[in-house]
Amino acid sequence: MGTISSALSIMSQALDADQEALNVVANNVANANTPGYTEETPDWQENQPISINGVSYGQGVTETGATSERDRVLESRLDQQQQLAASSGSRLTALDTLQALFTPASGSSSSTAGDIGSDITSFFNSFSSLEANPTDNSLRQSVLSTASTLAGDISGAAASLNSQRSALDQEAAGTTSQVNALTGAIAQLNQQIQTTSPDADAGTLEDQRQEDLSQLSQLIGINQITTQNNGLEITTTSGQLLVSEGTSYQLTTGMVNGVTDFFVNNTDITAQLASGGGSLGGYLTARDTDIPSSLSSLDQLAYSISTSVNKQNNAGTDYDGVEGNVANSANVALNIFSEPTTVAGSAASMSVVMTDPNQIAVAGAGDGTGDDTNAIALAALNSSTSTIVDGQTPINYYSNFVTTLGSTVSSVQTENTAQKASVTQLQTQNDALSGVNLNDEASSMTTLERSYQAASQVFAMLNTIMASALNLGDQTAVS
Amino acid sequence: MQEIGGRHGHPKLKELVVEASRALSRLDADRLEELALSCQALNRALVHEDAEAHAMLALEAKDAAGDMAVFARVLEATRANLNVMNRLRELRTGRLEYREGRLEPGVSQASAWRRTESGHGDN
Repeated sequence: MGTISSALSIMSQALDADQEALNVVANNVANANTPGYTEETPDWQENQPISINGVSYGQGVTETGATSERDRVLESRLDQQQQLAASSGSRLTALDTLQALFTPASGSSSSTAGDIGSDITSFFNSFSSLEANPTDNSLRQSVLSTASTLAGDISGAAASLNSQRSALDQEAAGTTSQVNALTGAIAQLNQQIQTTSPDADAGTLEDQRQEDLSQLSQLIGINQITTQNNGLEITTTSGQLLVSEGTSYQLTTGMVNGVTDFFVNNTDITAQLASGGGSLGGYLTARDTDIPSSLSSLDQLAYSISTSVNKQNNAGTDYDGVEGNVANSANVALNIFSEPTTVAGSAASMSVVMTDPNQIAVAGAGDGTGDDTNAIALAALNSSTSTIVDGQTPINYYSNFVTTLGSTVSSVQTENTAQKASVTQLQTQNDALSGVNLNDEASSMTTLERSYQAASQVFAMLNTIMASALNLGDQTAVS
Repeated sequence: MQEIGGRHGHPKLKELVVEASRALSRLDADRLEELALSCQALNRALVHEDAEAHAMLALEAKDAAGDMAVFARVLEATRANLNVMNRLRELRTGRLEYREGRLEPGVSQASAWRRTESGHGDN
């Protein structure tokens, strides 16, 4: 039978254990606002009972430490969604700048890239005006003036795109040092965790490692693989090793074809990083896909307009009776624009080379200066019957380019909004899960399920309402 | 209940869709359930609307199409998150059940039960 003193001893130990547990709780409260801190719960261990004359007597309980409440699956999912959100976020910022370039500036007196659409119309309309009065010098000057505005805005847009590409290149290169600092820190933490806590949660050290992983996820796309003794291996999403337990592998940069490429162990991983996620992925996608695509469209537009207009002008006779070189290559070249030799680079180098307005060939080949046959043909280059730019009229081609760009921006915006919402939800779930009991966890899950079910109802209802509205009178009521 | 402004006392579709996306982002189940009721009421009211109101609603629907795409993507992401959380719950439940019946060397039964005990909250 236990004595009063043994009972008091057990109670005393219980009070000590409770005091230790209170310390753990106090630590949780003190760190409530510490970024990345995961709440800890005390670990209790039953003391070995003693046996006297075959009767077992309990010896109370001891507090043996604290365990952080973390869920690696959830943290990993959160990191993954952060990578996607960061990637679409940085790409969206670049795309917004790109789209702003091609948006007409209201109230601005000077012509810019945003006016290319109206520049195209004004330029071809100036030939229509000249048809009626082929000898009018001011109308001839107007052709060269509108040509100069068009060429200036297209070459200016190309220069701005190249400048934006350089800025993105610098932004991308700038993330390298941050990535290396984080992978180095994670490797050090791996060593500490493996040494101090090889088979249990390492508490604060793991919080620090998770915080670093979260920051790394904002920068690049990564995969995490847990290794023995609580270690961690990190690779890029394409499998290139960045951290292996206590060793980190540096991300290095080098210039390739005028832009910064990224290497690990002399392997060029730029393309993989672009599709991998993180802000670096977004920068690289904008730098290597979005901007080159826009530049390529502008090049095609500039090349087609320059070569087609030059060719048509050389098919006629100018005000001084000089014929262009289409009929006879020995004739003088009556070029309005500088003649590009390749499509690539045509936008950046587009310029007006004609200085004498009399060289505009309004008349047809062999016709007198009062004839307007060739001016009609020049104006028709922008009409629906002419498909000089990749099977489309110049104005339609440009219009489609701007529409496609807008559609890309809209699609990336949608993705980014959804990914940010997903990150918010996961953070809410993670906050609810770390350091609470299973009842709270179940409550958090119920909220998620209720939200999803209610949102599904809202979506179905809105879908019905919108379909009904767009079907103009085909009403569908849902009770 | 929060108000969403609109014509004839009806909320504008665009505002409804944007509000639904926001509420779902922050997992505001109460607000989403309110919105579901609003949508039901709006749908019922539409049956009695005249042609002019229907034309107006068609314009609103076109205006809200982009935000509806965002809402659809947020809903899709939520479903993916819900799947992850469900699997996580199964994992945690499975792990706890497994731990309850198996004692590792040096671990007392009390220690192995600690999470399940805190789970039902009567400790």
